[in-house]
Amino acid sequence: MKLDLSPQDAWQPLPASQWNEDAARHLLRRAGWAAQPPEVARLMKDGLRPSLERLFPAKANLLPSPRLITNYQAAAPGYVKKLKEAESREQRQVLQREQRERQQQAMQDLSIKWLQFASRPENAATEKWAYFLSDIYVVSQEKVNSPSFIYRHIDILRQNALGTAPALTKAVSRDPAMIRFLDLQDSRKAAPNENFARELFELFVLGEGNYTEDDIKQAARAFTGYRLRETDFQFAANQHDDGPKTVFGKTGKFTGDDVIDLAYTQPAASRFVPQEMGKFYLSEEVLSQTYLTPLGDWWATTGYDLRQLAHRFFGSRLFFDPAFRGNYIKRPIQFYLGLVQDLNINVAPYPRHSLNTLRLMGEDLYRPPNVRGWVGGRLWINSGTLNARRQLVETLFATVTEENLNADEQVELVAARSQGIGTFTVTEERLEKMLQSMSATQITDRFLDYFLPVKVNATFHDNVLTFLTGEKEESKRVPRLRNTAITLLQSPEYQLC
Amino acid sequence: MKNTFQALPTTRREFLQWGGKGIGLLAFSQFAPSFLVQSTLAATPAPEKDRSILVLVQLAGGNDGLNTVIPYEDPEYYRLRPTLGIKKADALRIDDHLGLHPSLAGLHALMGEGRAGIIQNVGYPNPNHSHFRSGEIWETGSQSSEFLPSGWIGRFLDNACAGDDGTAGSGGDPVAVHVTNELPQSFLSGKPHSTFGLRNGGNRSKENLAFLEKLVKDDDHEANANASFLRATMMDALVTEQRVQKIINGYRPESVYPGNGFAQSLRNVASLISAGLSTRVYFVSLGGFDTHSNQANTHANQLRTLSEGLAAFQKDLISKKLDSQVLTMTFSEFGRRPNENESRGTDHGTAAPLFVMGSALKGSLYGTPPSLNNLPKNQDLTFSTDFRQVYATVLDKWFSAPTDQVLGKTYAPLPFI
Repeated sequence: MKLDLSPQDAWQPLPASQWNEDAARHLLRRAGWAAQPPEVARLMKDGLRPSLERLFPAKANLLPSPRLITNYQAAAPGYVKKLKEAESREQRQVLQREQRERQQQAMQDLSIKWLQFASRPENAATEKWAYFLSDIYVVSQEKVNSPSFIYRHIDILRQNALGTAPALTKAVSRDPAMIRFLDLQDSRKAAPNENFARELFELFVLGEGNYTEDDIKQAARAFTGYRLRETDFQFAANQHDDGPKTVFGKTGKFTGDDVIDLAYTQPAASRFVPQEMGKFYLSEEVLSQTYLTPLGDWWATTGYDLRQLAHRFFGSRLFFDPAFRGNYIKRPIQFYLGLVQDLNINVAPYPRHSLNTLRLMGEDLYRPPNVRGWVGGRLWINSGTLNARRQLVETLFATVTEENLNADEQVELVAARSQGIGTFTVTEERLEKMLQSMSATQITDRFLDYFLPVKVNATFHDNVLTFLTGEKEESKRVPRLRNTAITLLQSPEYQLC
Repeated sequence: MKNTFQALPTTRREFLQWGGKGIGLLAFSQFAPSFLVQSTLAATPAPEKDRSILVLVQLAGGNDGLNTVIPYEDPEYYRLRPTLGIKKADALRIDDHLGLHPSLAGLHALMGEGRAGIIQNVGYPNPNHSHFRSGEIWETGSQSSEFLPSGWIGRFLDNACAGDDGTAGSGGDPVAVHVTNELPQSFLSGKPHSTFGLRNGGNRSKENLAFLEKLVKDDDHEANANASFLRATMMDALVTEQRVQKIINGYRPESVYPGNGFAQSLRNVASLISAGLSTRVYFVSLGGFDTHSNQANTHANQLRTLSEGLAAFQKDLISKKLDSQVLTMTFSEFGRRPNENESRGTDHGTAAPLFVMGSALKGSLYGTPPSLNNLPKNQDLTFSTDFRQVYATVLDKWFSAPTDQVLGKTYAPLPFI
């Protein structure tokens, strides 16, 4: 990419003269999901710096444990006991099948509750940030096989997301999901398991090529004895190799925490998270070392404070550079939650609406394809996934026929309504109101301003206006309005942010 | 400048003409994903209409190989499967030692004509028993311990389309088609390729489609690389969608396809082949093979669906004189345990036979059968043919593609084509 900024200027705060509504929208779309007008107004009123402090606060709001996750966790010990006591293979199979169903439902409950939680403006930035961290500290339900562990994993990330990176890494090393995912509970003195040590260096802290195989072997010894006792971390001292190890040229009787601290003394550590932020928030094209180094050097002096890093990154001249406007392909989660926010509706409590669609778009929540997480970028886009995106938009404008909901979905609907969350689609009434209170030109302008991340040209604008006003029959004007909105949200431009 | 709206291109020639007007054919900025192993790819000729076509048929769930190709002279087989063992009298004879499951009459007949074959005991070292993971190994062609971000077909396409800009093959046809909701892992690639998923849903409103096409086509404002990419992909999808629907609706098959989804998928594949699309690879899937309990009837049904569908497909191709262009191959994430379990089913196993079908086969039985001697309970079969040898054969003999680059290693090809 072509940047006019020098590396020294890149990370300076955006000058006040360049802070405007376009910049505010860019920040909201990249740091969160969408640029809702009240949020834009608030950003303009408060200014950039105070807004960053609000978007990335000292502590993130916590997601309470979803009901089925709590139930799953409570039932787990009993299940293990019953399984041991089962007298026949048939009995075992029945128990196992019930457990799998409980798991599936708990995962659905967790996924939907998270989507609802993340879609709220006050949580958008921190939840996207936690999600970003989960793309570094990757686990997959496929292997972890425990909804409550997955919930706890995200919670650990969220709780440590705005502290220091070493503290976060240490917390993850004791995270039940990670212990299971990277086979840490099999690691013992006589046979240290290298999986965790390797991913610690390669995927969590330093990036490929910034350590040797010996570093990994020695580090693996430091992590022996990490165990899962039922559902909690436990340190088995008698399984731990407490002898001297040599890692990154230093020798000592290092513990796992010590190794993590050592990793953070390596220069590569200071550039790793910034590099990942570039890929996740700015561009598929990796930021060059020339730009990463000044930011990384500064970050190291803060003790690897993640909150300060976020403030600096999202407040920087580079972040707001024209090179990064309106050209990032939305990942499926972004597309879905962005739609929900742009349309001012709620996440529907039906897995069919949200979770299946995310899967068809290629992002199966909590099931990244491998330890590296999601590849993303243009790989999100093919005829199948584009079709899924188009289908999602159509679903959000269709009427929900309550009779077609199955029993579980009906229960969810009632529960959601009792909490005042009842709008999952764009209704006829809203569209009618829009037609009555705004002219066709106003509607066209509104749609183009709100939905699209770039200014379109006159031809595009005229095409939209022509289509919008193309229906002469009174009764068909609301459907025409609906179809205008739908098609705009299916356009290539709306796939970008 | 006013653009008058014109009908979308529906023929290859029209699409090429449109390309000249600046839509659809765009050059992308060079980006090199860090996981791309090859930097220079050998040039193979770009796909064209008369070139060889591969149809991949996924048997999802793990097909029980031992009850598919039955060693009916081996007493061990009946010892391992007291209730599930298929009797010799019921099996369809292949040779003195082996027979096919009785449901596979269609395939059996094709074998007799030299149009179908079996590759026995196909698997890989250090086998994995997870659907997800073993399926991934098969589809990415990886070693058991490595994780590849691309599929073997994806890497084949990366090679074959070295001179392509990645939009719908110069000609407007998708390079690979999948009759599944999701893009198969086999198709994941390093570069973007125009793949197409056949949709099983309802049709969209014509007005909306026309408006969307207009928005995409009329965009003459300067776009960033990703926007151009999106527009090109969207355009391909829209054009292809219309074109494919037309072909499928207008097709007259030369054989009778059963009404089930699998057979209809194959019928649709035949229609696209018959229409002369330059698509090289088709992917269809048949599920229901994860037979943990009460296997007998379920397995019989799924095998019958498979056999009847494939037979109708091959008959159709033969009648239309297309069979020399098409090679069909089944695959499954694993076979199943030799011994039956206490629920009259079988658990996840390892190696299994796979079927190939086409006009250019040399012989009908390849590889060596699995050994059942002295197998302790719950012991798995040991493979004798590495599945990547099958891929190597297809890549080399069928596609003339550089095998080593796609598979990362040299694998000895097999003599079935």
